[in-house]
Amino acid sequence: MSKLSRKPTAAFNDAPARFARFGLLENPFPSEPTVNKDSQDPRINGEIYEIELRQNEFERVRANFLRADLAQPNHLRLGYIIDTSYIGRGNGKSAFLVNLQDAINRHNNLDISEEQTKCFALYVVPESGGRTKTFASLLNKIFDSMLRLGIIEESLATIRLNAARSLHTGDGTAFSADDDVLIENLRSEQWYTDHEINLSEVRDAVRSNPALQELPPDFPLFREFARGGLYAEFVTQDDFERYFKSLKNGRDRFEFVLSHMVRFFRAADFTGAFILVDDFERIPDFQSRRQRKDFALELRSALFDGPTLNARLGFYNMFLVLHAGVPPLISDAWSESGMENRSPLLQQADRHVIPFEKLNPKHAKLLLKKYLGEYREKGAAFDELAPFTEAAIKEIGVVSEFNAAKILKLAYGLLEHAADEGSDEITETAVSDYREKDPLVNERIEATIASAETVDLFKKATGTE
Amino acid sequence: MPHIEEIITEPKLSVKRFYALEYFFILLESLTRTADRDAVFNSFLNLKQEYRLGESKFKKMSDEPEELTPGRESRYRYTFKQVIEESKQYGLISEQDDGALFRLEAGDSLLKQYGTPDYHRTLFKLMERDSNAFRYLIERMFAKSGLLIFPVYSPYQLGFERRNIRTTGDIERYAEKLSKQITSDVDKYLGTTIELGSETTEVIERLRTANLLSKNAKDQFQQTDYNSIVSRIRKFWLIYFLQNLYGYKLSLSSFDMWIYRGKQCGVIQATEFYPNFNGRIVYPTSVVVERTESADFSQLIAYKDGKNLYLHEPTELDEKNQDKFIKYLVEGYHSLRRTRRGYFVNLASLRELVCFNLKVSEHVFERMLNQAYKHNLAGELPIKISLEVDRLPEETGAEYLKRVPVLVDGKPRNIISIDEKGTRVDE
Repeated sequence: MSKLSRKPTAAFNDAPARFARFGLLENPFPSEPTVNKDSQDPRINGEIYEIELRQNEFERVRANFLRADLAQPNHLRLGYIIDTSYIGRGNGKSAFLVNLQDAINRHNNLDISEEQTKCFALYVVPESGGRTKTFASLLNKIFDSMLRLGIIEESLATIRLNAARSLHTGDGTAFSADDDVLIENLRSEQWYTDHEINLSEVRDAVRSNPALQELPPDFPLFREFARGGLYAEFVTQDDFERYFKSLKNGRDRFEFVLSHMVRFFRAADFTGAFILVDDFERIPDFQSRRQRKDFALELRSALFDGPTLNARLGFYNMFLVLHAGVPPLISDAWSESGMENRSPLLQQADRHVIPFEKLNPKHAKLLLKKYLGEYREKGAAFDELAPFTEAAIKEIGVVSEFNAAKILKLAYGLLEHAADEGSDEITETAVSDYREKDPLVNERIEATIASAETVDLFKKATGTE
Repeated sequence: MPHIEEIITEPKLSVKRFYALEYFFILLESLTRTADRDAVFNSFLNLKQEYRLGESKFKKMSDEPEELTPGRESRYRYTFKQVIEESKQYGLISEQDDGALFRLEAGDSLLKQYGTPDYHRTLFKLMERDSNAFRYLIERMFAKSGLLIFPVYSPYQLGFERRNIRTTGDIERYAEKLSKQITSDVDKYLGTTIELGSETTEVIERLRTANLLSKNAKDQFQQTDYNSIVSRIRKFWLIYFLQNLYGYKLSLSSFDMWIYRGKQCGVIQATEFYPNFNGRIVYPTSVVVERTESADFSQLIAYKDGKNLYLHEPTELDEKNQDKFIKYLVEGYHSLRRTRRGYFVNLASLRELVCFNLKVSEHVFERMLNQAYKHNLAGELPIKISLEVDRLPEETGAEYLKRVPVLVDGKPRNIISIDEKGTRVDE
């Protein structure tokens, strides 16, 4: 019999509503609380986010960076987000950054700065295991994140749009589509024809954009003007990527990203960009003393006083996320390279330092409430914290050392356990009972010399073991 | 317990009064610039400051210059002289009649070795060839189950409040409770039953003879003498352990000098910070035998009677050694975690446990941890190790660096968390 016509004998069952007893669609908590920006699951891509937890930190970033006058060359160009507790990992730094990036990119910072500045934000994570050790490799990661964000495509569209608008005599409906559609339209020959816009005039206008005048002739955008702009294909982000790859690591790429791209972005009306570097410790962790110093020197040159346009304008503004152990690691390099004068690490009170505080009991409650709320069945008559009791949440916070990732993971386990056991409420006792089952907590080995298993050296040496 | 033969060469147990073997280095280094004794002394002082060497067995926390009071200067001159004497004894330097000092060839070569393991090895040989002291110390340790304990309990640790200790009777009660505690510790850790009746009477009697306590139990003692009383009791018991129980024939201070020098060479481990133990423990991380087949030992010195002192240093590259290391690391981590609810535990405490399990020095521990950490980064271990820096000792108010931080990848680390794979909580 063909397998096409065979049927299974088990009937379709709706997945048992394991969490319906709690008024939840599914377990709202992540089993592995790591932030993966590219995941579709809102539990781990940083989408479920309680803004109030990090209100202080966000306010500090907003006041000192996002609303700063970026046209002034003496605005703050480098900020440190420093974790103040050593249980740093899983304290919500990545989630904070992902949300900060979204907040900036949502309206290109125009809303936050009250139309003063137009910026984009990049999220950069150095590779683990020492693969991002030099400033050049960090720069590659930065360019990668521009590609991922699609900011080059967006800028190309803006430049074309500005040119087309200046030539177009119609009522402007041609430009009223959504951003995504508009980006597509602006690189379709047909669209120009349909709206009676002369493409080669648009290209001429782009070409005479004053901001683009000092770019070298092989800059990727200019391929579009080959053969007088007739029949040339539209330049896309891919052309930029290919061009970048063809450049040698080192000075050529520095010049491209730190000078040429700055002119390009400025032609697209951007006044600045924020580069959020997560897990910064992955860089110095693997560096030698010498490499640390070189890195610091190049960073200083790129941001503050090198020969690039960026250093002159302060177009790219960077945030480094440091856990508590990092400042002692890099402080020597920072002082030797003069970074300490530019942007001191150890001045916690300064505006460029954003202390990342440990969560408190109130935060733990907010955090769980947020996750539960996202998966609460519509119209379910449950307390917003159900099935957790207030006391249970307090205990979860304490035993997790108020570390966001541990709180979420423990909540995940507790909810699974409660569903298995069929209990309706998770109390303080349930938390400690559950933790009793944790092999790490449950160990009952007393560390004393009396009971310690030891090597008998004499026997080992004489082979009588 | 194997039979320990009588030592042929009588050990020379007197020792020059300094702990840190780096003193040899700073003296030799000072001689690079000058031979003039006063100038050498000045350079010696500067380097002493720079390398944070004090008079204690612990390194100083700060390298801030300190004021050279007359008292300090005379202490430092004493140390300076002691280092010179011992260096002359080993043929590292020579002294002219006018007091000018010169480095000899042996001194040049030792200076070059500074910073490598050879530095301590060379010094070990020089010290041991001359004294046989380490052999004496180590053989007696093996004669006593391979472990020496020196329990120390303050009145507070035995449940006495400072403000309630006012009279001779209060001190007597503390002394009695202390004796009981010591008896029980000896039974628990050494498996020996002891009677301490007469010693308890003796310690009080000595305090009376020194006029620190009166005959009448109800009489108050001079409250300013409190520290002195408590410290004399502590010292009494330390000497009791050293000389009566373990049968060593040297003073407590010489013993201290030797074991901490031995610790720096990696042949003896001594610590005051073993978790869940009050006081000091000392054990050998080397062994004196005729020969060994095991690849985990390396010979440091040969004695005239055909025996050798072998340092126990299991190579971190052997898989079996590594497995054992990981096993004790994980066990120790779990047992330390019990007392704290956190995920991170103090790495120095964990080092105490593992060194005792494996009978290795802190140098060997550091090497094995570095190796394990590398494997961990490459994902080749069944566990995951996170090492972090809490507040560094320098960032606290402490004056002495009592526990040397563990260097991993050349960086000091002081807290560690271990996760079995699959249950890791990470960001």
